[in-house]
Amino acid sequence: MTPLTTASRYARLTWHLSAVSVHRLTEYRMDFLLGAGGLLLRVICQIAVIDMVFRQVPQIAGWRYHEVLFLLGFSLLPRGLDRMFTDQLWILARKLVQNGEFFRYLIRPVHPLFSLLSERFLYPDGFGELLTGIALTWYAAEHLDLSLSAVQWLLAPLLVLCGTLILAALKTLFASLAFWTTSSFPALYAANQLGDFSGYPLDLYHPSLRWLLTWLLPYAFTAYVPASYLLFGHAAMLPWLFVVTAGLVTLALVVWHRGVDRYEMTGS
Amino acid sequence: MNRYTPFATAGLQSLLQYRSTFLISAVTATTAVGVQVFLWRAVYAGRESGLLGGYDLPTLTTYVLLAQILGLVQANRVDEEVSGEVQRGDIAVSLLRPVSYPLSRFAAGLPVSLTNAALVAVPVLLLYAFLLPLTAPTWTGVLLFACSAALSLVIGFGVNLLVGLAGFVTTNIWGVRVVKDSVVAFFAGQVVPLALMPGPLAAVAHALPFQGMIDGPLRLLLGRYDGLLGAAGILAVQLGWALALTALAAYAWRGAVRRVEVLGG
Repeated sequence: MTPLTTASRYARLTWHLSAVSVHRLTEYRMDFLLGAGGLLLRVICQIAVIDMVFRQVPQIAGWRYHEVLFLLGFSLLPRGLDRMFTDQLWILARKLVQNGEFFRYLIRPVHPLFSLLSERFLYPDGFGELLTGIALTWYAAEHLDLSLSAVQWLLAPLLVLCGTLILAALKTLFASLAFWTTSSFPALYAANQLGDFSGYPLDLYHPSLRWLLTWLLPYAFTAYVPASYLLFGHAAMLPWLFVVTAGLVTLALVVWHRGVDRYEMTGS
Repeated sequence: MNRYTPFATAGLQSLLQYRSTFLISAVTATTAVGVQVFLWRAVYAGRESGLLGGYDLPTLTTYVLLAQILGLVQANRVDEEVSGEVQRGDIAVSLLRPVSYPLSRFAAGLPVSLTNAALVAVPVLLLYAFLLPLTAPTWTGVLLFACSAALSLVIGFGVNLLVGLAGFVTTNIWGVRVVKDSVVAFFAGQVVPLALMPGPLAAVAHALPFQGMIDGPLRLLLGRYDGLLGAAGILAVQLGWALALTALAAYAWRGAVRRVEVLGG
């Protein structure tokens, strides 16, 4: 099989399995509303806090109200996309290795990672984040009279995609630890929790924390770096964004494969 | 009373079995405090004159820190466990036991709260006390806080039990818990003190039971009340909500049991 036919096969599968999920969504409408609505309410609470902050001061760490909203909105785009496609990794971290059910994903004629993720494609909860993110980014951009250059328009979707890949890679990385420790839920949860810092301008934080969020758990590249590029044209970090994305995805896949190999060995 | 001791022991044992939850709680609380503190420090840095809603920076830092810690202590996993039992159907077994289910849940949740307070809250508190300037409370404050914190546990338990019982109505208990975690925490004053909220929002928050979980106890601790009468008022409102929520939870439980019987037909 050529790479092209493989890619088109996976694309077709993704499309088909997503359609299955949408059917499930119409079946459990209440669940969908709760999941999507819950994340929506969480964002509204975050906006309320930002509102309260800007009642007191015109700007924080050099960022104005609508710029902070833009950053928050932008941070939701990769997060929503990631949640829609990779949430099954939480289950892997929590119990799939522990209870031995992971073998199911090894005996299907697709890549085990794809097989695992496909169980929850288009998980409805991510819609809430994605739609809120789009609305918020749009609203903030309107108020800022943001006019993007042609290059920025071209890069914007790519930046969201890279952010999604970084989040997915971090999740894969920490979830894969379960192959060694049987449950990696606490580690995944802790790493995920630190992502909460990325919805705000990193200029607020102590330099050591900023360094950690840029180079160790690179959440900075999912929102702060792309948003400062789109808002202020700060492009110095952009090349690093692509390097970090590529590096992290490679690392995650290597760790994943090592983990899967290990799992097979213990199973035999 | 003795009948409920085994539940308390079991709750404690299962908690000690899953020690990793301590790490999760600690990281969550530390992150939440960090985000808030950095945000408010930037606000104070950007203003010429000091006070926000009557709080200076060390007092607001103390508030934000203790709010997360109080929230941590109230997170007794009752919502998770009750909804889990409902979903798996284990709740049927609980109905056979000659004890009150809500009370046995409370007995199982209490040691979880206390252990969290000792093993997670204290280290997080010490960490931030080492890093940031805080305001030391008065002894009167501590005393009032102790009474108020006890009442806040009852309110928190009532809310958690109701969320858990929502498992009878929906299978997406995760969604309900996201709603609870954000909305309840917000109106409780866990993120921002009620004194900093704009008028209408503060009015809504004051009318809801949740302010008795965080804002009430911390106002008592930090001495932000008008004389003895004001302090008594805060406690009285808390007591009222604690009783009301207990009654509501009992009512919801009775309704839920009836539903089980119908399904079991």
